[in-house]
Amino acid sequence: MTGPDAAPFVDRPDGDLAREVASAPAGHAAAAEGELYRRFARRVRLFGLRYLRDGMAADDLAQQVMLIAIERLRAGEIRNPDEIGSFILSTSRMVATGLRRTERRRQDIHMRVEVTEPTAMPRDERFFDADRIRPCLASLRERERTILLLTFYAERTATEIAVGMGMSAGAVRVARHRAVAAMRDCLEARRSA
Amino acid sequence: MTTRSSACLSMGELSDYWTSDASPEDVERIETHVFTCGACTDLLAAADQLRRRVGDVVRAGAVQAFVTDGLLNQLARDGVRVRSYAMNAGGSVQCAVWDDDEILVTRLRADFSGVTALDAVMRLDTGEEWGRASDIPVPEGSREVIMALPAELVRRAPEVPIRLTLRSSAASPGESPLAEYTFDHRGAHTRRSG
Repeated sequence: MTGPDAAPFVDRPDGDLAREVASAPAGHAAAAEGELYRRFARRVRLFGLRYLRDGMAADDLAQQVMLIAIERLRAGEIRNPDEIGSFILSTSRMVATGLRRTERRRQDIHMRVEVTEPTAMPRDERFFDADRIRPCLASLRERERTILLLTFYAERTATEIAVGMGMSAGAVRVARHRAVAAMRDCLEARRSA
Repeated sequence: MTTRSSACLSMGELSDYWTSDASPEDVERIETHVFTCGACTDLLAAADQLRRRVGDVVRAGAVQAFVTDGLLNQLARDGVRVRSYAMNAGGSVQCAVWDDDEILVTRLRADFSGVTALDAVMRLDTGEEWGRASDIPVPEGSREVIMALPAELVRRAPEVPIRLTLRSSAASPGESPLAEYTFDHRGAHTRRSG
């Protein structure tokens, strides 16, 4: 019978990995640290894309936050490793606030993290490509396509779109949800085809 | 494995995260969930990809849609080369695209009183259907809808008249069209230097 410790890292809960990092001598749980990094760096990066609106700044944020998280785990400073996701999210908010405050600090962090954390940032470029997007966009109803373009290209709010299209903001959001779901179904179907 | 702390979010909900529409409560809920759920992290990344790729497709002039002046302004700011025509109901225009055009825009004008949505059909003068659109939104009081076509698509169109017919989406079968327009398509032109 195989014990839980022998399970592949990818199948282990976040809390297990965090506990392993916390209980091992510093630097002796590299695989668990790597798996935590793989799981959480992309979440922090996505968070950073929303708040910092810049891919490089989001990369910096992810590296800085993960560095803090791993160091705090190694030092036994995270009281409840099962709440590692919550700790990383609150650290992301704190660091992002600092990053937004000064561009100079962003550049300092970039230089420092490049030296201390050479791990490649996970990318999310595999989902959709333009060749699949075009026919799926074309398959939408006109109203839904217009709403999608105004939202994601022109970056208009539902209220602004509603005024321009003679709809309520709620109806715009419903139509956008429907359009996004239809796009996802279409893109998945084309990926598996 | 990141465990699921609560029910997973829909792609629609997650796509709100990338807009300014999400309330602080929505944002908090999405972030808290995503930081404990691997499946929703994938979906959030997919929603991010979707919004960026939609933008890429528009900037490349590869989108066919009914658009607004706001979107045309954004295209201008992005440096997309747009050729524009305007037509009244029953009108015709000699139209062509040039080799550096990226999007062809036509303002289709008519009396749309009482109409909230339109269906459009484009036919070659042979009767062959060339394009179709349904549920084109018409804001109250609007006297035009703006059709955008990729210049590349127009370049490949046959050099024959193309007739566009607009009907109310709520019209019964056999009801007269609201407006018709004729594109006397003259093909693609090349600018000669010197």
